[in-house]
Amino acid sequence: MDIAHKPHFIRPCTIIWLLLMALTATTYAIGEAGVGGVAVMFIVLGSAAFKVQMVASYFMGLRRTRWLWRGIVLGWLVLVTGLITIAYLTTVK
Amino acid sequence: MTNNTIATHQIHATPPGDLAIWFFIFAELLAFGVFFVAYAFARAHNVALFNESQQHLNITSGAVNTLVLITSSYFMVRAVAAIKQGLSRECARWIAAAIGFGGIFLIIKLFEFHAKFSAGISLSTNTFYMFYLSLTIFHFMHVILGMVILAAVMLKARGGGYSAENHTGVETGASYWHMVDLLWIILFPLVYVIH
Repeated sequence: MDIAHKPHFIRPCTIIWLLLMALTATTYAIGEAGVGGVAVMFIVLGSAAFKVQMVASYFMGLRRTRWLWRGIVLGWLVLVTGLITIAYLTTVK
Repeated sequence: MTNNTIATHQIHATPPGDLAIWFFIFAELLAFGVFFVAYAFARAHNVALFNESQQHLNITSGAVNTLVLITSSYFMVRAVAAIKQGLSRECARWIAAAIGFGGIFLIIKLFEFHAKFSAGISLSTNTFYMFYLSLTIFHFMHVILGMVILAAVMLKARGGGYSAENHTGVETGASYWHMVDLLWIILFPLVYVIH
């Protein structure tokens, strides 16, 4: 098979896959270190939100669809992570 | 620029796969979203209990399972790419790999559940474990359902049931599988890491 005929999304998806693995390793390192606090929460939750957006956009292919479909997933992500953040911040003295 | 190149860069009216699966996916996102937010607010009412109980979770198995699901999801990307080139056998092999990694996820999770149940932990132990077990078992069931869907798609692909022009079934199975991955990406840091 001529490589020129390979779907255009393989290369960006491979890069995203490696990026997701690296971000997961970072989250694991933070978890193993046992550190907490607002800054750590923002980093870990922000990293997770970014990963979800990458899976939706590249793996699920939503970046090539109308804004409506991307908006539903992005809206869900913002709402859920936003409420989790609010719940967390209410416990910070 | 060829017609094929133009087609790959256009904005599609609907997401990949059968539109019906997307309504199912959105319903699942809503259900898990409520569960995630409920966990966060329950934690806010009992931070000490949640932080103490969370320390008994195995972060390593949670992280390895995240890597496993992300990789499995990537294999489905490759399966879709293969069928778009008309390579049914290659598509089936990528799906088999995705199912295999789904199996690894289940095995790791079973070891984790076994350790907890052996220690006498159950849904009624405390609020944290009620959420931890409910969320992870609920997700576990979705992984099993996803593997069943992928197995059906793999068998059809192996039999030449899909082509470069007609592969909606592969995209439908892949979309569901990516959702299972996406949910775990939130679940892992929320339950295992953030405190």
